[in-house]
Amino acid sequence: MTVPLHDDQIFFTREAIDAAALIGHVRAAEDGAVVTFDGCVRNQSHGRHTLYLDYEAYESMALTKLREIAAEMHTKFPIHCVAMAHRLGRLQIGETSVFIAVSAPHRPAAFDACRFAIDTLKRTVPIWKKEYFEDGAVWADGELPPVPAEAPARKSAS
Amino acid sequence: MPVVSQTVRVKVLFFGRLKEIAGQGEDSAEIAAGASIEQLFAAFASRHPELAKFRTSLVTSRNQEFAAWSTPLHAGDEVAFLPPVSGG
Repeated sequence: MTVPLHDDQIFFTREAIDAAALIGHVRAAEDGAVVTFDGCVRNQSHGRHTLYLDYEAYESMALTKLREIAAEMHTKFPIHCVAMAHRLGRLQIGETSVFIAVSAPHRPAAFDACRFAIDTLKRTVPIWKKEYFEDGAVWADGELPPVPAEAPARKSAS
Repeated sequence: MPVVSQTVRVKVLFFGRLKEIAGQGEDSAEIAAGASIEQLFAAFASRHPELAKFRTSLVTSRNQEFAAWSTPLHAGDEVAFLPPVSGG
């Protein structure tokens, strides 16, 4: 029987994220731990009452970036499997915007890898959210991803 | 219109607030072969002056990889202008 090296599941969806399905996907007999991160829509931002959020992404590039994060998780931490889903479109208060599940034989790697995944996602993946309030809407403050250095315009270094 | 020796067409994408300013998420532009992403942005900023305000608070990508502003462009490239990301 051949077992794929990493059977990670990574996707965007416009429907509610099925957390149980993602946990079920990563969980296997050799795992002693599954650590999850459930990112949910908060009812306020900077003291203003939030009505709902709209998420958009540069979907093809963002999917590539999410896959790169998963690949890096496997390199950095002794984990078994990763499932990552990010919601797009309109989300109501309390709904899950991003869900990450990581399985590993031992819990430290699962905790560390899950933390690495959400922190890196927030810094580097081209996804944006617009926050709607009773009196208007704003694009959420975000982070500028690290980019290649300027200067010698080299041809496709990658 | 000045006559240029060679121009190329590139695809241009705007996201977040930049999309609202540009009026659309996807556009295309005819630029001099080898022109930089910086020059491409300047061309759009002259059409939509509001864009220029965000020059220092955005990053760019070429063919879906983050790119330096000095990156030269070639025919068929896909360039995107990306505000600070806020996923999660």
